[in-house]
Amino acid sequence: MMTILAEITELWQQAGLAAVTMVGLGATFALVLLIASIKLKVQVDPKIEQVYEALPKIDCGACGFAGCSSYAKGVVANPELLGRCSPGGSEVANKIAAILSLSMGQSSVPARAVVHCRSHTEDKEFYASYTGIPSCTAANAVANVQACKFGCLGFGDCVQACKFDALHMIDGLATVDYEKCTGCTACVKACPRNLIEMVPFTHENMMVVACRSRESGKITRSMCKVGCIGCGLCAKQTDLFTVQDNVARMAYDRYEPDQASETAMYKCPTGVIVFRGKNAPEPRPAGEKPQTAKT
Amino acid sequence: MAIEIKSKLTFPGGVHPPEYKEITENCAIEVMPSPKQVSVLLGQHIGAICKPTVAKRDKVQAGQIVGDSDAFVSAPVHTPVTGTVKDISLQSHPVLGRALAILIETDPENDSGKSPSPDRFDKDYDIQQYSSEQICEITRKAGIIGMGGAGFPTRVKIEPNPRLPKDLLIINGCECEPFITCDYRLMVEWTWQVLTGIRLAAKAARIERIKIGIEDNKPDAIEAMRQSVNESGQADKIEVVVVRTKYPQGGERQLIRSLLRKHVPSGGIPPMIGVCVLNIATCAALAEAVVCGAPLTHRVVTVTGNAIDRPGNYYVPIGTTIADLIDFCGGLTERAAKVVLGGPMMGFAIADLSRPITKTCGALTFLSQEMITKAKYDRRVTPCIRCGRCLTVCPENLNPTKIAHAVKKNRLDLAEQYYMSACIECGCCSFICPANIELTGYIKTGKILQARAKKKIPE
Repeated sequence: MMTILAEITELWQQAGLAAVTMVGLGATFALVLLIASIKLKVQVDPKIEQVYEALPKIDCGACGFAGCSSYAKGVVANPELLGRCSPGGSEVANKIAAILSLSMGQSSVPARAVVHCRSHTEDKEFYASYTGIPSCTAANAVANVQACKFGCLGFGDCVQACKFDALHMIDGLATVDYEKCTGCTACVKACPRNLIEMVPFTHENMMVVACRSRESGKITRSMCKVGCIGCGLCAKQTDLFTVQDNVARMAYDRYEPDQASETAMYKCPTGVIVFRGKNAPEPRPAGEKPQTAKT
Repeated sequence: MAIEIKSKLTFPGGVHPPEYKEITENCAIEVMPSPKQVSVLLGQHIGAICKPTVAKRDKVQAGQIVGDSDAFVSAPVHTPVTGTVKDISLQSHPVLGRALAILIETDPENDSGKSPSPDRFDKDYDIQQYSSEQICEITRKAGIIGMGGAGFPTRVKIEPNPRLPKDLLIINGCECEPFITCDYRLMVEWTWQVLTGIRLAAKAARIERIKIGIEDNKPDAIEAMRQSVNESGQADKIEVVVVRTKYPQGGERQLIRSLLRKHVPSGGIPPMIGVCVLNIATCAALAEAVVCGAPLTHRVVTVTGNAIDRPGNYYVPIGTTIADLIDFCGGLTERAAKVVLGGPMMGFAIADLSRPITKTCGALTFLSQEMITKAKYDRRVTPCIRCGRCLTVCPENLNPTKIAHAVKKNRLDLAEQYYMSACIECGCCSFICPANIELTGYIKTGKILQARAKKKIPE
């Protein structure tokens, strides 16, 4: 019994010594770190941290910076860069403006990607079968990979570029999912035919001219069921539309959903004018004649 | 039969694709009459695209300038036929897809067609009557460009440049691409015209030494050129050099390497080491322009492959559509499946037969269904097995696999680290790859992506 007690006492003495040593060491290092943290403190602008917290932190690069943290630094240093964050939109811009105590001019309109083509594989003409590298850039280098020089190629360079899973290839046409699109412009840079454009979405659903074919009407008709033939019927209805180089263009910033633009849409002989947006109504099926009953 | 000649002059790398030259090798150059309509493209060369100098419904004479540009690096285009300008509009372009062209309807009563004039040249032809400046000016006016494929305006090439002095003229008679025989036929049939052109080019560039590089699979051409050089008494200046048959021996960097054992710096041009390289067809056109005053309106095109009825070498008006040329050659056989503009190694597969022949188009290859299906079965792409064959065949000593993988992963910075821009796009790596990876295609794609990344996105 005594021997056991003596052993415990001895063990206690040894353990106690070790414990004291460890605590002493810990305290010393803690003191060193404390002094170092006070002496060597890096001054971080608290605003940068606040701005970074307000940003979406997805590092998409739409602002032109490498990621959200570098944009935060940039916007604090140069307030003119405010509003560059397209995924965050006006909400984030307002937050940043509040942090930097700036006044936000007008509430910015979110820009969203619009594919200027509505031709699915069955709507367009092909001269030959392409068996090369399945990439739009490679296919675009081969002339006449499809009859239309301006239409969507359907190999999905933009789908690969999208970080938000907002673009999908549906029957050979890049289709934007407006629930997910943040307007980061990655797809605009990826498209070799410059078909994707950032359109200011002043309304939930935007009316767009979904064609870029600058060929004459006759040739466009022979190549695609849903190409703009440059007839100018839409331009007669409202001055939102202008026809230039055989293709209708639309002033998106002035768009208001009114009777004239609706009529223009229904009069379009090939159905190129369509709605794009979160709850966009289905466009007229390809090749169908315009409905005359609608007034 | 000519003597067996074997040469050891060559460059590192390269491949030996099947030649198929026997299809058209012995077909003499045949003149094609003017078609009913030609469409002369305004951008056939490297440099500024021409602006039309005629208007719709204008009457034009054969050989008249129909498009010109003020830019230095440019060349005018001429109409090959007499007739009326029908339209100036977008037409199929071999490379650009659609480009501005002048449609000219031939007037069958006044158009006599152009026949080649190789008989006007012989060994006694006096080239001293022209000064260097005169030849340069005629070269520019006649719209002569490098007819081997790149289409660089010849005047810019041969004009003496004090900053880049040239002391050697190399004439490229290799024609290493399979199927093509147009330069070979020119050397054999129009030997004196080619030789006069070579001497005129040397005179214009003020160069005393000339080397003519010919591959050792063309003994007839070597013999013909050697004989005429000796007869003309220029043997001390002009040397016919035989090089080994290997693809891409006809690439100018490779030919310079074979003949001189010198490297043209990466991203540089031959004048940097004092060399000027011209193609055989360009020399023939130059002679015709200077001596006969005829601009570049016709060229010899090899129509070949196993899917055309009457393959051969034809003297074709530039601007003739491929469909018209096919009709003249007896039409396609039923087996035809693929049309390649140029040879199979560097040519473009084309889908639209309404495309016109351009100044740089030396061949049309029509491949049959059998050839395609066989190739397609073989060409199932499998993963890279790291065998390194593409490294051994690359004539520019690049690592095509690394570049292709970098492009696939969209890492252009990495691709450039492996010298993507030094690639000459000869296609050796794609040809040799046992995994059937289209390495050249990926490198070309990477170059396009890089060009786009450098400039701003157009609105």
